[in-house]
Amino acid sequence: MSKVKSAVITTLFVIAIVVLALFSTVSWPVAGTDGADTLNSFVSNIHLGSDFTGSAYVMLYPEGVISAADYDIVVKDDANADKDKYEKKYSPRGGVYVANEKLEDEEGFKASIKKDADILNGRFGRKEYSSYSVALEDGGFAIKVTVPTNYTYVDYKNNGSLTEISNTVSYLMLDGELTIRNSSTYEGSKSVLPSVNDKAADCFKDINLYSMAGNYFVRMIFTKEGLEKIKPAVTEEASAYLFVGETYMTGFDLTNDALGNITDNTLTLNAGKSAAQDYSILLNTVINGKTLANSYNSAAENSATSIVAVTPAFGEHAPIYLFVTLLLVLAVAVALPFIKYKKLGYVCAMVTLIYALALVCAVMLIEIQITVAGALTAVLGLGLLLFTNFYVFEAIRKESLLGRTMQASIKAGYKRTLWTVLDLHLVMLAISLLLALVCVGEAAACGFIFFIATIASYVLYWFTRFMWYVLSSPVKDKFKFCGIKREAYDED
Amino acid sequence: MKTDFKLSSKMHLFIIISSIIIAIGAAVGTICQFVANGYFNYGADWESYKSVTVSYVSADFADKNEVKEICEKAFADAGVSYYYSVSFGEKSGNTVGGEYTFKFNYSVKEEKLQTAVNAINAVIADKSKPNADEDNNVESVIMSTASAHTVDGLNGNGKALWRGAVAIASVIALHFIYFAVRFKLTMALGALLADVHNLAVFVSLLSLTRVPVGSSIITFAALTVLLTAIGTCFLFDRVRKNAKDEANAKLGAFELTDKSASESFKINLFMPVCIAAVAVVVFVLASISAMSVIAVLAPAFGAIICCVSCGYGLLLFTPAVYSRFKQIGDNYKQNHTRAPKENVSK
Repeated sequence: MSKVKSAVITTLFVIAIVVLALFSTVSWPVAGTDGADTLNSFVSNIHLGSDFTGSAYVMLYPEGVISAADYDIVVKDDANADKDKYEKKYSPRGGVYVANEKLEDEEGFKASIKKDADILNGRFGRKEYSSYSVALEDGGFAIKVTVPTNYTYVDYKNNGSLTEISNTVSYLMLDGELTIRNSSTYEGSKSVLPSVNDKAADCFKDINLYSMAGNYFVRMIFTKEGLEKIKPAVTEEASAYLFVGETYMTGFDLTNDALGNITDNTLTLNAGKSAAQDYSILLNTVINGKTLANSYNSAAENSATSIVAVTPAFGEHAPIYLFVTLLLVLAVAVALPFIKYKKLGYVCAMVTLIYALALVCAVMLIEIQITVAGALTAVLGLGLLLFTNFYVFEAIRKESLLGRTMQASIKAGYKRTLWTVLDLHLVMLAISLLLALVCVGEAAACGFIFFIATIASYVLYWFTRFMWYVLSSPVKDKFKFCGIKREAYDED
Repeated sequence: MKTDFKLSSKMHLFIIISSIIIAIGAAVGTICQFVANGYFNYGADWESYKSVTVSYVSADFADKNEVKEICEKAFADAGVSYYYSVSFGEKSGNTVGGEYTFKFNYSVKEEKLQTAVNAINAVIADKSKPNADEDNNVESVIMSTASAHTVDGLNGNGKALWRGAVAIASVIALHFIYFAVRFKLTMALGALLADVHNLAVFVSLLSLTRVPVGSSIITFAALTVLLTAIGTCFLFDRVRKNAKDEANAKLGAFELTDKSASESFKINLFMPVCIAAVAVVVFVLASISAMSVIAVLAPAFGAIICCVSCGYGLLLFTPAVYSRFKQIGDNYKQNHTRAPKENVSK
């Protein structure tokens, strides 16, 4: 390869890396908005786990249970008109007060709350949070749901809102059966599907989340029976309204056009990403008979409905420290090959930076939440890449000691390590895929990160060979280029 | 870096070391299951405990130590003792009071706690009476109060735990099958042993060191298997290549394994050391950020323990035990291979 060709290819790659690195790490004010709008860097748009941006929790009290604070605020105030009513109505249990009527079958009531907690656990589990918990508290009379805030650094810095979590909690804690009704007001409306004598499971085959090209849909798949039963309600201008219990969720057209377009008995409702996910989780569990037995935080006596944000365990500046740590790792990964392999270090530096940028872009675009374990998994992926390259370089060094030319040594070295590297990456790919598919939460996220890292590592393993060829082509002493000393042979 | 460790001759030593670690870990875990807060030291997100929360108003208690003394007396009278206490809020300044939380073992009976809570409430109610008669200001409405709570920490993570366990078991099975197909059955058994051993040591060290365990444990267990898979790929690849090399034809199973372990030592040391180094940096920086070591202990030490168990397992234990597998395999092969037929015509 000529010097010019080598220089052009190298320059193009360096420019691409620099541009991508700038967009990844630097936030820019958008031109023409007088600094009002900012194009945030890719790094600051990565979602961070509760270690770095904290978590949020909400207490769920079933109807007939109130917190000690709600009780005390009334009972300890002699001027309060409801004082006597509260004292007669409630009895203390742990940190809460329970209505006496519920205590007539105390064990049965607690069992129903436990069953609800299991259902809620299943619902929140399907949200794929990196960490979450649904725990029984106060002797089993209350449920505490804790989820990560899922903030990006930008959200965290600007005290982002917890509206999304609040919406999710308010949907997933809904009790009651699914009905499609003819009015958006529950009172006075009529259930179109299922009718009085039917069950939702007989009318719906499945309800799930469907996404395409950045749009999210709730996909309702009717049974034949369900589709036949909904047809009489169809008119030219009819609308239908989805309810869970007495809570209105969303409306949709029930016209001839809308129903005429149904393929495979499927009707899709467009919604935002989080809402579509919440609806599909809730509706799917409801049609499969997993309905909550109790109504939560619905009583007027209960004030504990707000979401409480908890400071991250790693402190206020944890995201900055994470960024600094990862930069340090990257700096070491870039410097190490220079020490051992001299100018071949340039190739390794390029490959390392491409790996880091590819991972940042992938994690940001796929919206994987980064926790400590996730960050360590990304480092492990970087280790795999460096590991593979060093392994090949050592094989090449050994080949060169046999008296081969540099090109011949490279060829022989890559050939010698081909199956080892392939085996390693295949095992890693299969393991990471298995973890991503079978695990939930943080472990699944780590599996997915390592899956991306393994693919990047294998592609970059070949890219290393390509760039080695490109960069070393114009160099006269190819052994010196990669810090390999050639054995001196006797003249004879 | 090549080592001259005769690992194969030290198999019994490594088996004894591993057995001791696993046995002590299991013993400590079992004892703690009954006398402390569980087999593992569950961190904040998995901790199951009973607690008493005492909210107090500054107007009632000028000195927060007075609240603590009242509580401690009530606990002693009820025959319960707490293992952790934390206070929030200030007794003066902008806030109107504070909160004490006392944590008890999950096994403590609720009735006893309720007796203590009633006693505390009785004492603080007496102290609060003068305030209740005051004018209708904010402080008179917010009263000092105590209540008992039960937290079933692990309950919400059941799904993550069993799915993680299934995934790790599947990964180990896949690791074994791949090695049985692409390498040899003895190597597949070596890989299986490495996975199981490293996981067992990891779990035992967690129990032994009482490092707080949280939801990250599944991820670190998976990381242990990942590191083991990477290490075994390099170790057994060296064994395979050395076995094929005619220069090593005269080497026995032990010498060949020692040679391969020595050649892959550096590369198998590199990965756990790097991960452990990153975990230490994260731990140091996060401790500075959180101004607390306890808050960041769980993930950082989880990673370090993962690296320690993988490092020990891959560099010392696995080659030592594998050499016996190889010897058995070689002997079997030798005994079951037909001798070449003698030339009858001669």
